[in-house]
Amino acid sequence: MADAEENLASTSTTNATDKEAAKICVLLNATGNVPIIKKRTWTVDPNKTVSWIQKFIHKFLKLDATEQIFLYVNQTFAPAPDQIIKNLYDCHGTNGKLVLYYCKNQAWG
Amino acid sequence: MAHDREVLRMIWEGQIGICFQADRDEIVGIKPEPFYLMVSRLSYLPLVTDKVRKYFTRYIAAEHQDGAVWFDYNGTPLRLHYPTGVLYDLLHPEEDCTPWGLTIHFSKFPEDTLVKMNSKELLESHYMSCLKEADVLKHRGLVISAMQKKDHNQLWLGLINDKFDQFWAVNRRLMEPYGDQESFKNIPVRLYNDDDFTYTQKLISPISESGQKKSLADLMAELSTPERKAVGFRTHGIDLHEETQVQWMSEHLSYPDNFLHLSVDYKDV
Repeated sequence: MADAEENLASTSTTNATDKEAAKICVLLNATGNVPIIKKRTWTVDPNKTVSWIQKFIHKFLKLDATEQIFLYVNQTFAPAPDQIIKNLYDCHGTNGKLVLYYCKNQAWG
Repeated sequence: MAHDREVLRMIWEGQIGICFQADRDEIVGIKPEPFYLMVSRLSYLPLVTDKVRKYFTRYIAAEHQDGAVWFDYNGTPLRLHYPTGVLYDLLHPEEDCTPWGLTIHFSKFPEDTLVKMNSKELLESHYMSCLKEADVLKHRGLVISAMQKKDHNQLWLGLINDKFDQFWAVNRRLMEPYGDQESFKNIPVRLYNDDDFTYTQKLISPISESGQKKSLADLMAELSTPERKAVGFRTHGIDLHEETQVQWMSEHLSYPDNFLHLSVDYKDV
C-alpha cells in the first residue's frame, strides 16, 4: 500500500514539480457492486500499466485474493493488462483526463 | 468501398513455418524430435498450438503436464496475445530463415513479462476488446455496438477456423468509412520500435490538415522529432512504400483485431 500511495500521488498536491506535470490525470469511477474509492482523481506515471492500476485498486479496497478487478475505458472496452496509461490517454483521454471504470464483474464484455 | 480483395486474400494466407523444440529441463527420458507446423500470421500462438502441446506432453515430467504453456525465441518470451506475425516481424529472425525455432515450456511461466492468455476464452475476450477499441477510433464505436452477438461470434470463428469469407462478411462493415465521410475518424494503429515489444498508440487522422488523404510519408513526418526521424515502416513482413495511403492501409493491411501493427525504423538526426 505504501508503495502505491507514493507513486499514485494525489492531485491535491499544490507544489507540483515538472515530473508531476508529466503525469496523467486519471478519473476512477466505480460501477456495479464494487466499493467506491472516495478520491476519484489520481495522477499516474504515464508508463504504468493497466494491471498496475488493477492491483492498486485491489489493494486500496482490501479485496480478497480471489476477487478480481476489471477496468474499462469510457465504458466501452477492457484494455490489455500490459497496455500503458499513456497510450490510452493519448487515444481516449477527454478534457485532460483518462476516464476509467472499475468493477468486480465483467461489465462491458 | 473499393476493396482490393486480392490483397485481403494474400494477407490472410500469410504463414510462418515454425520448428518447436522442448525445454530440456522439462524432459524425462528420451529427447523428442522437434515438431514442425505452418501457422497463420494473423492468428495467436495459443489458438494454433494444441497439437504441439499434445505432442510434447508425453515427454515431459508429470508434474508439469498441466502447466501454463508459453514459448520463447532465443530466450525472449513471446506475448501470447500478440498476433504471431507481429511477434515474428519484431524478432525478425536473421536472413528470414525458415523455420522459426521456438521452444515450448510447460513450467516457470514468466508472470512478470507475459500476460496469462493461454485459454481460448481469455484470448477471445481480449480480441473482442481490441475490436471495440479499434471501432471507437474509427467510428466512435457505433458500428461494433450496432452488431449482434452472432456477428461478433462470426468474426471470432472466422479467425480461429481460418474462414476468410465468413470473417470478411462481417469485417467489411467495420471497414466502412465514418458517417458521410470518405475515411475513418482515426486510424487504429500500434507502432512498434525494433526489438522491443512495447508499442505507441496515438490519434492518427487519415486526413491531413490540407484535407488530403494522408500517405505514409506524411505519417513519417508526423512521427519524426528533432532528435529522430521515422524512415521506414514494415508490416506482414512487407516494407511499405511511402506513397501508400494510410486509410487504404487500415482497410487492407490491418490484422483481424482491426489494428495496423507497424514496425517503425527510426534514424537519429
